[in-house]
Amino acid sequence: MDTVKGTLGLSETLRGVAIVGIGHSKFGRRNDVSVAELAFESIRGAVEDAGIDKKQVENVTLGSVGGWCEETVPATIVNEYSGFQHVGSMRVEAACASGSAAVKNAYLSVASGESDIAMAVGLEKMTEVNTLTAIELMGRGGSYLWEFENFGMTFASYYAMFAVAHMNRFGTTEEDLARVAVKAHHYGAMNPLAQFQKEITIEKVLSSQVVSWPLKLYDASPVSDGSAAVVLASEETAKKLTDTPIWIKSIGASSDSADMSRRDGYVGLSATVDASRKAYSVAKIGPEMVDVANCHDCFTIAEIMAYEDLGFCAKGEGTKLLKDGQTMIGGKIPVNVDGGLKAKGHPIGATGVSMMVEISKQLRGEAGKRQVPIKNGIGLVHNVGGTGHYCYVTVLSRSR
Amino acid sequence: MDASEPPTLHSRRTLDLRFNIPISKTNRFWESLKEGKFITTKCKDCGEVTFPPQVDCPSCMSSNSEWIDLGTEAELVTFTYVVITPTSFVDSGPYHVAVGKLGQGLKVLAWVEGATTEELKPGMKLRLEARNGSAASPYYVFVPVK
Repeated sequence: MDTVKGTLGLSETLRGVAIVGIGHSKFGRRNDVSVAELAFESIRGAVEDAGIDKKQVENVTLGSVGGWCEETVPATIVNEYSGFQHVGSMRVEAACASGSAAVKNAYLSVASGESDIAMAVGLEKMTEVNTLTAIELMGRGGSYLWEFENFGMTFASYYAMFAVAHMNRFGTTEEDLARVAVKAHHYGAMNPLAQFQKEITIEKVLSSQVVSWPLKLYDASPVSDGSAAVVLASEETAKKLTDTPIWIKSIGASSDSADMSRRDGYVGLSATVDASRKAYSVAKIGPEMVDVANCHDCFTIAEIMAYEDLGFCAKGEGTKLLKDGQTMIGGKIPVNVDGGLKAKGHPIGATGVSMMVEISKQLRGEAGKRQVPIKNGIGLVHNVGGTGHYCYVTVLSRSR
Repeated sequence: MDASEPPTLHSRRTLDLRFNIPISKTNRFWESLKEGKFITTKCKDCGEVTFPPQVDCPSCMSSNSEWIDLGTEAELVTFTYVVITPTSFVDSGPYHVAVGKLGQGLKVLAWVEGATTEELKPGMKLRLEARNGSAASPYYVFVPVK
């Protein structure tokens, strides 16, 4: 087998691991529930979907960034509320890729033989503070002293800088970016768990409030509350539990500088390029074999760059891929047909796990009116933390 | 309060978060800035130059560094106009922020003063200038070179 450093999967020394249970809360402004109650919604869903007794879960990893709600050590309160006792547990943080990081940790627990059944829970409760405070807590997630203290950068501002560079280099327009949001809302309108379930127009995006030029309100994913959970099982256990295990073929992980001034360029995320090449190599696939993908569209420009960086098209051709409808259902590579971060919502620690839930649904053939035609049985999850500070690319498959 | 809102407990306990950030290892940058001069670090062992400055080399891990002139002439690489600011910047916004490329290939992120969004173009010439030099918290900005 190939050895690709920093990549998990298909190793002779690791056991096969499958997703056997999925759960997902309604995303949105969830001030009807506490943080632990919010996690419970997806945890119960995943346990019931897996058809297990929760006592069989030996390891619970929580992906959550935190800071915007009253619980500072959220894994413990989540475990207590859902009745997990004496489990191996931790909270992991990889900014907006914390959910994928949690899945990686749960994967390792099962693959290594530490547990037969493990759970990854993604969780974020961001609306208990006001919106500008939430924006500040995210903005501080760059290189604090050199970017925030004196210059007040926000995550919209970071991605706006990439948008300006992409526009300057490839002639990308604000209208091109708006098409990402229109597609997201089109599918969000078909997803009962999405924060926004209404179609929008290009004109509505273009006339919305400028957040950080050239990005506007409708170019941005919302501040959200939400949770998602997956149950992972070893090969032997998975085959006993379900006829439709979704196998984790590979997890490619990468990173880049905290400080934007240290990046080589601003038209793509090198962490995405690196993580995806690792994941493809270990899974022995190419991007052309992916039937369905969830990409990290925290801002519209992020989805365009993701198409290019993941190899769905050449650099600079992302806007054309979108315009031609190739990332819609029926196109070459449908992307974010659950509404994406933009319309489904972006509770940041929950997002990576939510993506795993959606791709599992698609590969099982359970996505209803949003179902994508499955040819190769392969799906991809692309989860970015920060502005490419972290990236995780996970390849999921119907076949072991 | 909107009657349709669910009940929440508005916490009585507030927290004032203000950090004392150690700057011993980069203090020469900040002191120099007060005099309007821009310097940064260069590793004496492997020659790596860094911005933001760091006396511990990220390339070879040596701490044998020296301070060199950073220069002030820059070329605009990319920028944005921050309209919705973080909560602690509500009295400062909106503002332009750019990444400028200096000599030796180093880049700096800073506010841009004295230009509109329409006037800013990748490739245009900028100059770094110090601000707030007499105060305890100096900072720096780009200004367009007319």
